[in-house]
Amino acid sequence: MSFEPKILGIACNWCTYTGADLAGTTRLKYPQNLRLIRVMCSSRINPSFIIRGFQLGADGVLVGGCHPGDCHYGTGNLYARRKLAVTRKILEFAGMEPGRLRVEWISASEGNKFAEVVGEFTDQVRTLGPQTKFKITKNGQ
Amino acid sequence: MTAFKKIEDNLKKEAKNLLESGKVTLVLAYAGGFDEKHPVPYVAKAAADADHLVFNEYCTYNMARYLTRYPLGTKIAVAVRGADSRAVVQLIQEGKVRRDDLVILGIPATGMKNQKTGEVIDAKTTASTINPVLYDVLLGDEIHGVKAGSPYDVLAELEGMDKDARWAFWKKEFERCIRCYACRKACPMCYCDPCFMDASRPRWADKSPTDDGTLMYHLTRFYHLAGRCIDCGECSRACPVDIPLYLFHKEVAKECEAMFGQAAGMNIEDKPAMANFKGEDSDQMLG
Repeated sequence: MSFEPKILGIACNWCTYTGADLAGTTRLKYPQNLRLIRVMCSSRINPSFIIRGFQLGADGVLVGGCHPGDCHYGTGNLYARRKLAVTRKILEFAGMEPGRLRVEWISASEGNKFAEVVGEFTDQVRTLGPQTKFKITKNGQ
Repeated sequence: MTAFKKIEDNLKKEAKNLLESGKVTLVLAYAGGFDEKHPVPYVAKAAADADHLVFNEYCTYNMARYLTRYPLGTKIAVAVRGADSRAVVQLIQEGKVRRDDLVILGIPATGMKNQKTGEVIDAKTTASTINPVLYDVLLGDEIHGVKAGSPYDVLAELEGMDKDARWAFWKKEFERCIRCYACRKACPMCYCDPCFMDASRPRWADKSPTDDGTLMYHLTRFYHLAGRCIDCGECSRACPVDIPLYLFHKEVAKECEAMFGQAAGMNIEDKPAMANFKGEDSDQMLG
């Protein structure tokens, strides 16, 4: 059986999640590997969410937010950008494949982009194979 | 080691003066332990206590760690070496202490030694700043002409590894962690109460030393210290199983410096890098 990756998506309520809605209402096709979680702002995302995601079996994590300058709260995604940049460096230095974390700015009107990004990212993670480094296997060991 | 003796004498004199005049109520410095090699962190509360103070090459504790234990507004004199002074600056930036409440006794020192191994802590491994960056009184002569190289040179080996080898390296190191939290206890920037590890809602990670809980603890701690770690190396020296945590902290500090253009605790006017953004930030940093 071919490997189907589990993708954790964390999307901001105002842009990316609405963009995902648009992708849905316009009947765009995108892979069903994505499990999308809605947060109010991309700066709500604690880097521990991403680490925990990997531990609980995600093969890739996709983070979506508003375009810089477009944040519903003004500046949330500008902080988020710094946080996620550091998170990526930490994952990379710990030995995680950097390709397993992706950050995309997708606005509410970019349903096409959302579907494209999910498709692209799923393919990318599929070629990377199952994520085993952080994953908890049994009894927390 | 006359330089150390001179610093010790000045430290005693200054501490005595400050406590006698009532300018400060506490002096955070070092006192003798059971032998010369094992000084202890010490709080002098009266002029007579000043006689107990010592300074030698084994005084590696970061006394800035104790600043946040006292209520805001306590007048404190603190003895700091190079990197420790950066911790004070960083705490001031974060509003945890006020500049007016502090008398900073700067100690320029090189050739400090690790108590456990006796090895010299040279600038490349942990303490990359030799002279204090901020002080009121300098207890010794400023040290110049020490060719230290970049503090990040020591990372070359790990950075050269491929990701799988690096993962194997860290996995092996973290496996030894007994979750005593000495690194957290020794760190001047770890002042959260409660720490995310002590929280039960949400329960971020296992309380018992399981591999995944340990990974979560260390990675999150590296993140929490991003742009704040001042490279004193106390975490690694405090570690009973000698996990080289400083290497990871150094890497994060290096990346933060490259991305955000500021090193932690160098300038009292800076805003903490992770609580700030700049117009020139770009998506390039997301790689």
